[in-house]
Amino acid sequence: MGLSRLSARTLTARPLRSLLTILGVALGVGVLSASLTLGAGLEAAINRTVRDLVGNADLRVSAFLERGLSDATVEAIRTMDGVSVAAPIVERRTFLSGVSGTNPGTVTVVGIDPTTYPTVHPLELVGGALLLRADERSAVITEALATAEGYALGSELTVLGAGAPTHLRVVGIVAGSGPIAEAGGRTVFVPIDVARTIFRLTGVTRVDVVLADRTPSQAAADRLAEVITTEPYVLATPADLAAGLRASTADFQATTAWLAAIVLFVGAFLIINTISMTVSERAREVGLLRAAGATRGQIIRFVLVGAAILGVLGSLFGLLVGAGLGALMANSIRALTGFAAQVDPLSAGSLALAFLVGLGVTTAGAMEPAIRASRISPVEALRARFDVPAARRGRLIWLTAVLGFVAVLALLVWPPASGSIGADRAIVVYGVLLVATLATPLVLPPLARIIGLPISLILRLEERLARGSMARDRSRTALTLGALVIGLAMVVALGWTADAARHRATAWLADVVPGDEVLTSIRRVGRTEPAQGELAALPGVRSVSPIATFDLAYHGVRIDAAAIVGADFLSDGRLTFLDGDRATALRALDTGGAAILPEAAARRLDLAVGDSIGVALGDGATLDLRIAGIVSRSLPSGGGEAILVGWPDASGPIGVTGADVFAVRFVPGATPAERAAVETLAATYALEANPLTRIEGAVVDALGRVFGLFDAFSLIALLVAALGIVNTLGMGVLERVRELGVLRAIGMTRRQASRMVVTEAIVLGLAGSVLGILVGLGIGAILLQFSGDLGRSPVLPWGSMALAGVLGISCSIVASYYPSVVAARVSIIRSLQFS
Amino acid sequence: MPAILEARDLTKQFDLGATQVEALRGVSLEVQAGEFLALMGPSGSGKSTLLQLLAGLDRPTSGSVVFEGRDISRLSDDEATKLRRERTGFVFQAFNLIPLLSVIENIGLPFTIAGLDAGRGELRERIRDVISLVELTGKERHRPDQLSQGEQQRVAVARALVTKPSVLFADEPTGNLDYTTGGEILEALWLTAEASAQTIVLVTHDARAAAYADRVLVIGDGRITDEITLGRRQDHSAAPLIARLAQIGL
Repeated sequence: MGLSRLSARTLTARPLRSLLTILGVALGVGVLSASLTLGAGLEAAINRTVRDLVGNADLRVSAFLERGLSDATVEAIRTMDGVSVAAPIVERRTFLSGVSGTNPGTVTVVGIDPTTYPTVHPLELVGGALLLRADERSAVITEALATAEGYALGSELTVLGAGAPTHLRVVGIVAGSGPIAEAGGRTVFVPIDVARTIFRLTGVTRVDVVLADRTPSQAAADRLAEVITTEPYVLATPADLAAGLRASTADFQATTAWLAAIVLFVGAFLIINTISMTVSERAREVGLLRAAGATRGQIIRFVLVGAAILGVLGSLFGLLVGAGLGALMANSIRALTGFAAQVDPLSAGSLALAFLVGLGVTTAGAMEPAIRASRISPVEALRARFDVPAARRGRLIWLTAVLGFVAVLALLVWPPASGSIGADRAIVVYGVLLVATLATPLVLPPLARIIGLPISLILRLEERLARGSMARDRSRTALTLGALVIGLAMVVALGWTADAARHRATAWLADVVPGDEVLTSIRRVGRTEPAQGELAALPGVRSVSPIATFDLAYHGVRIDAAAIVGADFLSDGRLTFLDGDRATALRALDTGGAAILPEAAARRLDLAVGDSIGVALGDGATLDLRIAGIVSRSLPSGGGEAILVGWPDASGPIGVTGADVFAVRFVPGATPAERAAVETLAATYALEANPLTRIEGAVVDALGRVFGLFDAFSLIALLVAALGIVNTLGMGVLERVRELGVLRAIGMTRRQASRMVVTEAIVLGLAGSVLGILVGLGIGAILLQFSGDLGRSPVLPWGSMALAGVLGISCSIVASYYPSVVAARVSIIRSLQFS
Repeated sequence: MPAILEARDLTKQFDLGATQVEALRGVSLEVQAGEFLALMGPSGSGKSTLLQLLAGLDRPTSGSVVFEGRDISRLSDDEATKLRRERTGFVFQAFNLIPLLSVIENIGLPFTIAGLDAGRGELRERIRDVISLVELTGKERHRPDQLSQGEQQRVAVARALVTKPSVLFADEPTGNLDYTTGGEILEALWLTAEASAQTIVLVTHDARAAAYADRVLVIGDGRITDEITLGRRQDHSAAPLIARLAQIGL
């Protein structure tokens, strides 16, 4: 029989241990494979979405100002040199009238030029015909909308706009959800002139351009800059849009990637431990093989073949696990960003990479035991066991090497879209984990002694024997504990980060929103419309403050802005000023010519109180706004925080036509009926009412979904750690079969034997929990330091700490079940014959 | 005087897959209180199996074992455990000490297992007495790996005696020891039999060890094939026993 076959038989001789290792590898590879397939799936989805979004367009010229791009600009683009087709488009969100049920009836109305649009965006019809004239009162709707609302060809739709409702006849139905991803399938295509009439617009939202040479180039961008001189615009290529979409998922992908690396690392603990145990156990056999003439190289191969078998099986199984996890992660991304990533679990490249990584980690993990085995002297192996301290040093040095290997792998598979996002975090977290792992064997004995004290009051013998058993092979115990510590540390660190994020989100809203209820509109509500006045007149309402969110162009960069009534914020006590006088600054907004900056924007744009910013207005004109104050947090807007300006500037030079948010503050003690009256009135103006608590709840829910997924990763790491505990405790029982036989022979009951193993697990679990919580707090503090939340958020994550404690102990106790049963069933006679 | 330990027509069969091995084929014997009995025989004769049945470590296929007037061959696991803890003591061929426990902790183990505090009162005195009996005074805090093989076996003897068992069972207690050290262990066992009227059942294949016993039962092929009464002697010379064994062809 060849050594390879002997190696395979070594694995089948200990089926449980081999199975546990395979599971450990599988979970690590599964998480990694899921991250990779998710990355590939996202990339494919991004490309698909971009294709849907821009169709055949090579450039997209979007209006910067609310009034849109003027006809003159559209004409200038159309007639520009090198432009083959220029399709002007109006896009607005609004409501359909007469839509029943709980659905709010929101739709995205897309005004198109019937002659140019189909060239840029070929629409696949499932019924009817395309629009023909720019002014016909007809609509083409998506199949999804038709199904949801029961429309058919010939049905009449009523669209709410700036004036009276507009009635349109459905003449065509587009397949599926249509090309507008953000519309959620609820798109209504209307002729562009009809759309302008509905929303009382003079300009267009954007122009999609097909170039004659089909190549977006700097030359084309320069030519556009020459022809569009009167108003600011945003130029995007399909590649820019793809980059934007990638950026929206990059942080998520980066976090999943480093969590996957940690799970894989914990898996490596298990692998090293298992192979190491097998080598120790087989020392005598290895010695015999050496005595019989096996070379060191053959012994290394003997061990590595065994590891490779485990690696191949584990990795294959891991790919299955990964397929399931990938789907789960894709769902999370969909829930979070609305971005539908279809994960293809059969992406060959990702599968191959995950498989090779699994095999690589297993082989790397087995290398140290293999080398150690090759160094066994035949005489020494046949005489006694290994020199444990030497093995300990070797194992920990090798563990460091494996950590390095996993870190390099993590860098190799780092999502390209993430760039350096989170890489610094990941490196520091890795460093902390490494230090914690190396320190574990030093800390364990005194810690186990302290933890054992209260247990020894009740279970004196069991505690004494359990502690002794842990000290028997400290490096093995330390490796097992290390895996548990990492899993628990991630639970605590992520829990703390989640707490901080929730706290930040809720505290932010309370600090900046001057109301108990926020009414939002998907269309601008003009300042002259009666809505605000009627709401303010309702009993129980103290104030109604109009807010408009929009974009500003400053030095060619888009910045988020919001128009507010300074007096409302002043009387309501909102905003925390870091610089500038509160009353002066807020009053200055209402006078005009002033702005208030959030701290982050002030820092980014390098602006201070007293400076001026010139925002582009179109026609080459700029509006100078003096910085009247800097606040710690401003209103949330778009991707960040808004620069605050007064209504005189917003509705004047900037051209904002109305508010899209109303903050309603109730008088203290307002009754539920009075609150309900506000919501009822709001509904008549198509305003969606959201109590601040509900918004906070939604924010917390969204964060919960992100962190829920990350927690799932931590739990997988814990599961792998638990497999390691089963392995270690099981090995401990096997090694002590003779001892257990003696104890049973001199009067130890089966229950006591079982309790001894469980006690060991409890001490291990408690020690893991204590260390895991401490390391987790360290990592959490580092992560919070990176996000600038340290000190602002809850002092300590008590909930997560308690959870880690419970998980650590219960994980260990559950893991000890089987070994404890084995210990209880030890046959006295056979154990005394055992050697 | 009734026997303290009695075996009645014991048989024991082992299933080895397709075949069955009959280790004992109807063994009956009696052990009197204070007696030092040796079970002798070659390897595979069934002597260790007989000891295991007598000590309640295993159950016979048929027949019964009566210990202090009580049939112990059908006890539940807990009852058998209690019996082993309180009424019997064991010395094994391998010293079978718990490596992480000190000498004093190993000796006090039966008390600790019983939930008693071995560090106080009468129990402490008892442990001190047996340590003195096996001449290990001064080495109480040593761990097994810091002791010689003979000392380790003496710890095992002390552990077996500390509960003042009715019967002390010893299975090849000198099998792993050199001539001199083995002699010391046998002396220690004999002394307890002599000084405290300790009942001892010793399994051995070594005539020199069996020569310490009052009576020797020779086991062969699962049966008692001979009985040699030596009586209590200060002189433990093996010569008479060897001569007798030669007569019966062993």
